[in-house]
Amino acid sequence: MSDVRLDAIMKSYGPVAVLHGISLDIRSGEFISLLGASGCGKTTLLRIVAGLEEVTSGRISIDGRDVTALPPEKRDIAMMFQSYALLPHLNVFENVRFPLRMRKIGTRAEQMEMAAAALATVQLGHLADRRPRQLSGGQQQRVALARAIVSHPKVLLLDEPLSNLDARLREDMQVELIELHKRLGLTTLFVTHDQDEALSLSDRVVLLNNGWVEQQGSPSEIYDRPATEFASNFIGSANLIDATIVERDGRPMAMLADQQCLALAAGEAARGAVRLALRQEDMQLAASGSGISGTVRTRVFLGAQNRYVVEVAGATIRVLAANAAVYATGDPVVLSIDPARVRLLTR
Amino acid sequence: MVKAVPLPLRILARVFVAVTVLGLLAPLIVVVAASVSENQYISFPPQGFSLIWYRKVLSSDDYMSAAALSFGLALAVTVAATLIGGAAAIAIHRRKLPYPQLIGAVFISPLMLPTIIYAIGMLMLWSSMFGVVTVFTLWISHTIIATPYVVRTTLAVLSDSDPFLEEAARTMGANRLQRLMLVVVPQCLPGLAAGAFFAFNLSFDEAVLSLFLRKPDLTTLPVEIYSKLEFSPDPSVAAVSSIMIALTVVLIIVIDRVVGIKKFAST
Amino acid sequence: MTDRTENMLLVGPGLLLLALAFLLPIFQMLSLSVTGPSGLTLLNFVNFLGDPFYLGVLWRTIRLSLLITVICALIGFPLAYIISKVGSTMRLWLIAILILPLMTSVVVRTFGWMVLLSRSGLIPQVLQGLGLAHRGFALIQTETAIVIGMVQVLLPFMTLSVLGVIARIDPVLEEAARTMGCSFLQTVRTVVLPLSLPGIIAGSLLAFTLSASSFVTPNLLGGARIQVLATSIYNSVTQTLDWPFASAQAVILFAGIILTLIPYVRLMGDGRG
Repeated sequence: MSDVRLDAIMKSYGPVAVLHGISLDIRSGEFISLLGASGCGKTTLLRIVAGLEEVTSGRISIDGRDVTALPPEKRDIAMMFQSYALLPHLNVFENVRFPLRMRKIGTRAEQMEMAAAALATVQLGHLADRRPRQLSGGQQQRVALARAIVSHPKVLLLDEPLSNLDARLREDMQVELIELHKRLGLTTLFVTHDQDEALSLSDRVVLLNNGWVEQQGSPSEIYDRPATEFASNFIGSANLIDATIVERDGRPMAMLADQQCLALAAGEAARGAVRLALRQEDMQLAASGSGISGTVRTRVFLGAQNRYVVEVAGATIRVLAANAAVYATGDPVVLSIDPARVRLLTR
Repeated sequence: MVKAVPLPLRILARVFVAVTVLGLLAPLIVVVAASVSENQYISFPPQGFSLIWYRKVLSSDDYMSAAALSFGLALAVTVAATLIGGAAAIAIHRRKLPYPQLIGAVFISPLMLPTIIYAIGMLMLWSSMFGVVTVFTLWISHTIIATPYVVRTTLAVLSDSDPFLEEAARTMGANRLQRLMLVVVPQCLPGLAAGAFFAFNLSFDEAVLSLFLRKPDLTTLPVEIYSKLEFSPDPSVAAVSSIMIALTVVLIIVIDRVVGIKKFAST
Repeated sequence: MTDRTENMLLVGPGLLLLALAFLLPIFQMLSLSVTGPSGLTLLNFVNFLGDPFYLGVLWRTIRLSLLITVICALIGFPLAYIISKVGSTMRLWLIAILILPLMTSVVVRTFGWMVLLSRSGLIPQVLQGLGLAHRGFALIQTETAIVIGMVQVLLPFMTLSVLGVIARIDPVLEEAARTMGCSFLQTVRTVVLPLSLPGIIAGSLLAFTLSASSFVTPNLLGGARIQVLATSIYNSVTQTLDWPFASAQAVILFAGIILTLIPYVRLMGDGRG
């Protein structure tokens, strides 16, 4: 069990800076997701922890030991690649045993035992003699996972390991990863661009944007209280609308461009010009009642629910609504939202 | 694939392919047919059937010593070209080299330069520096023109392999030598094998360098055939040529088994 | 040791060998071509370019090479297109049939043509039988024989070069063209042909270069009277033993080939940029 400490990691390729001084403390046994769009630097950061990339400045320590200058083969880590990187000329069993051979862990007999145990963990013991090419994508993914955990590394690094799987398999693997993490308690750094994956798997989510840490926190913190416009947009893709805070009957309200008002939580302290972040799934749609009125522009049928694009105060708001009532283009509708779910961002 | 091709065009296409294939294979068929003729002179269609000319080849000192030289030379060239070309391909593929593109181009350049130009240069340089041409000259010059084939086949195989294998091996604790020998070289094997067979074939069949560098005691099989053709060939030339064709067929089958010849049709 | 050091160690032996046994000989040949009895001279070039015989040889080389290249392209493009469309077993066979002559010694293949084209050979006999040729007609030792022999040698190069490009054309493009009203032949002309052009150009350059520089086939099929540049070089080396003159001819061949290649490299460079 170990903790990983990243201290002001900077990385640039020539004049292009991709990481601008990232500091992160990872507790022993913690499962951390590095979440961000492509090009945000999340994979670079992971590769820096692995030792595959050198830092421009900053320090990395694993278990209290400075490893900044150590090459990957001397760091006690294991990494799972997006392409799995299984050695095609070795069978499944030899692939799993490979890190033990290279790191000279145990005798030959012990290595066989450990590899068999790791394969059993991912329920692939029966495929030990196969070549990677003969396996399905999901099976290859499990072999890669077995190979990553076989040496009980201090840090497990996962680079978008689920992105090449189809949706169904991905859900299964998410469950399996959670259970595996619970069982082995490996300190895990998980790179993904998929917010659902990050929210469902990790103890802590680190949201990266353009080489900066945009926000970090527990999945519920990140989801419920996105700190910035980028965070609200990236997580749950919120509607962003400009408004002005006014007071009506002693309660704070957000006034939209067309003078319609939206109730805010009683304790809201912000004043003046703000930007509202409204989640599609937080809003309700009704034919009449209290709330802000708008006009349906488009309905997108999604099976379990409908997505409506509603015009309000010259802006468009997307709303996810159940199938109970169906509105057609041009129908007047009323939008409402729990005041506690309205988030204010400074403009 | 493409449907709705007019019928006359389909028929035309078949005739076209048949005629072209016939044209491509005609000289080979003729050689093999002439080799089993009973006649004292080369004829096509052959008269009768006999294997006397093969017997004559096997009992001929000229042919047998030429064949021994060609075979030994081809083996030596194969070893040298595979080692040099394979190592170079690995380094070029990794791209962590000064001027990787230039170095890649240099290794392929003997393929671009007409052999005749190289042959003259080699003859002149060798003569001015060491005097007489030896089998060593042939070995070096064949290796030079065979190496690009190994470089190409190995690069083709490497570019198909997972680019993260070496990095993955690093994260699993493999050191530099282990990565090269346990990860990279096994990936290259099909390419190295194909390149080795091409190198062998090239050297065994090579006529231009061997003709320019020929000496009475340095006659390879193609040169032996060539000099017979310049004068009065008898069907034993056809027999020895047929043996060379058979060897080529075997090599093609082996290459197809090892890597699949289709791969080289698309590169 | 760094990655660079390791990779330099891997390319090192090859680079050394290429420098000493490839670049140096070419340099030696270049320098010999401007060497006369009394030092630096262009006399070898003057002798070549001032002699109508050698100019004739040069012209024949260019003319035959162009003809061979055009014939190879005319056969190679449809052949490659057909190969790309047939089933996979058939394709494998056709490719094997292309590769077999490619990998057979040029001496052996030319021998086959010598048998077929000689006075008593099958082709003149058949032509005589059909009344298309007079008695005693022979194809051997004619330019036609050289062209036939060289086309067979170079057609596989051309076809494989075109095939490499055609195989990468998205078949949906052809289907799209058909749905937009193109007939089959129009589709080939307006979609496949333009997209295969890089392969045809590359194959043509290869065919031109190889036919301009080959000497085994022209020497055996054309005989001593019909000389091309490469056979003339060979004669200068082995018969008249005039090595500086041979070098000068090789330099002319070299220069001609480079002049042909430069526009192509430019073209490809522009296409990428």
